[in-house]
Amino acid sequence: MLEISHLYKKYLNSERFSVEDLSISLKPGEIFGFLGQNGAGKSTTIKCLTGIYPFNSGTITICGHDIAKDPINAKLNMGYVPDNHSAYEKLTGREYVNYTADLYKVSKRDREERFNKYVSQFKLTKAIDMQIKSYSHGMKQKICIIAALIHNPKLWVLDEPMMGLDHQSMLEILKRMKDHVDEGNTVFFSSHNLDLVAKICDRVAIVKDGKLQCVIDLHVKGNKETLEQTFISITATEQDIINTANDTGEFKLHLGV
Amino acid sequence: MNNIRTLLKLEFKDKFSKFSASNKNAYLKVIGSLIMYAAVVYGIFLVSRIFFQMFDKADMGYESLVLIFTVLLIFLCFTGVSSTVKVLFYKGDNEILMRYPVKGEEIFISKTLFLIINQIMITAVIVAPLLVAYSEVMELGSDFIRVIPIAIMFLVLIPFFVSNIFAIPIMHLTNRIRNKFGLIIIGLTIGITLLFAVYMFLFNKMVTFIGDKEFSVFDEGFVTIVKDVCKYLIPTKYFADILVGKELYIAYPVLIMILGITLCGTILVVMELYPKTLLKNVETEGSAFKHVTKNRVRPIFFTLLHKEFLQVFRSVNYSFQYFVLACAMPVMVYFCNSIAMQLGKNQIGEQISVGMTMLVMLIFATVISSFSATSVSREGDCFYHTKVAPVSIELQLFVKFTMYFIVSFLANIICVVVLIYAGLMETGTALWLFLIVELICIGLILRSMRYDVKKPYFNLSGEGEVVNNNVNTTRSVGLGFGISLIEGMLGMILGYIMDFATLQIVCSAIAVVFFLYALLSYCIGLRKTYNKIAK
Repeated sequence: MLEISHLYKKYLNSERFSVEDLSISLKPGEIFGFLGQNGAGKSTTIKCLTGIYPFNSGTITICGHDIAKDPINAKLNMGYVPDNHSAYEKLTGREYVNYTADLYKVSKRDREERFNKYVSQFKLTKAIDMQIKSYSHGMKQKICIIAALIHNPKLWVLDEPMMGLDHQSMLEILKRMKDHVDEGNTVFFSSHNLDLVAKICDRVAIVKDGKLQCVIDLHVKGNKETLEQTFISITATEQDIINTANDTGEFKLHLGV
Repeated sequence: MNNIRTLLKLEFKDKFSKFSASNKNAYLKVIGSLIMYAAVVYGIFLVSRIFFQMFDKADMGYESLVLIFTVLLIFLCFTGVSSTVKVLFYKGDNEILMRYPVKGEEIFISKTLFLIINQIMITAVIVAPLLVAYSEVMELGSDFIRVIPIAIMFLVLIPFFVSNIFAIPIMHLTNRIRNKFGLIIIGLTIGITLLFAVYMFLFNKMVTFIGDKEFSVFDEGFVTIVKDVCKYLIPTKYFADILVGKELYIAYPVLIMILGITLCGTILVVMELYPKTLLKNVETEGSAFKHVTKNRVRPIFFTLLHKEFLQVFRSVNYSFQYFVLACAMPVMVYFCNSIAMQLGKNQIGEQISVGMTMLVMLIFATVISSFSATSVSREGDCFYHTKVAPVSIELQLFVKFTMYFIVSFLANIICVVVLIYAGLMETGTALWLFLIVELICIGLILRSMRYDVKKPYFNLSGEGEVVNNNVNTTRSVGLGFGISLIEGMLGMILGYIMDFATLQIVCSAIAVVFFLYALLSYCIGLRKTYNKIAK
């Protein structure tokens, strides 16, 4: 479904690689979590695979289409929800979704069916004909999700989709993710919420300083429970370890141990 | 009091945030700005001197002062409402300030003081040279000069208080009509055209007056009407009265009374409505609209074009910059051309008329085309869409080009039709002129778009719009003016010293070369450059 092979990405005027030799492979029907601290290279990887950023070397294929060589077909198989939930705010929700559907050549019948389903699922029926600029944070996130799903993409990519959402909205998105993979598609998303990732993902990848540290299968017994511990042990910096040690020492001193 | 001082300091720091005392370039910029302001002041002085001389020749010196104050008062009331709404209500910092332990009244006073100080400075820069020019023309003494600061204070404070009273109702009203985009475009077009027509009328008179200062350019009927009207221009005639020392026993009391009434009105409005309005945040409430449509399938080209059109059409800012100027262009070209022709015929010769028309058309075409220099920047936060969409970059940019082309094409063709029907140009010549202007227009659009592809500026306002014109716009306008001058001047010179055929060959050759240069420089490496953009 998604193959990233030896991806290298360095920003202009930067001395180090933001993504370095990253390779992952996603299977159909799985939810794949992408974890890492701030600045680890998650968003950069996502922006490379969606075609937003060019990259220095490596290959990214989506459903067999190389994003660099055959970008149109690769993009036709992908839906993307950005981290800043930005959409054309002067358009109404309906206009925006129709605009996206036109770009992905969705037929009228499929469009009507999916549109009605998602609008009602995400409870946007009342607001759908309002300009997007009047939407709340959560509503904007939802309209971005509907626009990303209107062509029923085989690969659904979300960059930190739960940020700033209320519990109910989070549950709605999680349900949609599960439904999407049940239809044989794949979901790839980045997040900082370890509990949520452990609850919903089939596999997770942890990145640190642009390098892939490990891929964990959460169906293996014990991996879900130890995910947080594993994440901390992998991503902690030397300073984090010193701080933790100091805190523990002070705590012990306070207790008179 | 401390809070007000701190808030006021904040306002000024925000206003001059770009200035850094440790940066040498900042000082150079300040010096540059001061030189520019000095040039503006001197320019105002020179132009107003001619204006007053022209009116004085028709024995309307006093009336010219009354008219000037009337225009200034109306202008300051409009801009006052606009800046009051912007600074007091729309500015993003209100939300932050309301979180601090400060009263709504303190925020209001600090912002009001900031506005008044600003207004005094701007008004003084504009009005002082104007009044000095008046005193020079009318040979008035130091008594007149001494009263200028008083007149400026009245001129600043009265419109300021008036605009404070009307700001909130006008804000509610604009929120109600701000989504009637068609209506706004038509209104703005009519307004701009009328303003331009008045400006061109005065300009024409001033040019005629410069040509022959011995005679008045106004006929007797016009003079009588102006004199009659000026008698009833209350309260603006009192501004002129305090300056020339006429009926001071009425002028001062009336102006002080108006000042008092408007001040009371402001206090009442502020106490009753300001904090409520701030908290209610009317601007966001009224700015979005509902537009019920059906799900429609469009071909990719048309859906992109539709989106592009809506993005511009649903923004008063963009509509004004683009559609309104394009709509007003034929009228402006007509006025400019008829004056230019008149001047050319009287003073140099009919041969230069084609070159002059070309110059005028190209200058307006430049202003309209410069909008395309923000074609990528205007995507703002949605820029990622252009990269993620399964549509080639070339097609997406071609759609943007198509929209700019359609507007420029229509504006140019209407200009040419106006010129033909007004008898200002022969059909064959007009069509040739259209081809030349259109070719250069396309070239300008392509160059402007390429500037923005190379280096877009994504700093947008809260409404998701380009706040200020960026460097690309300046470059685009510079290029446009450059090519307009080359084509226009050559057209005039060749028309004067050689024949029309030579003029046609040379101007056509320049237009074709420019078009080819723009086309090639647009196409070469387009995708590579676009892919490098990383927001």
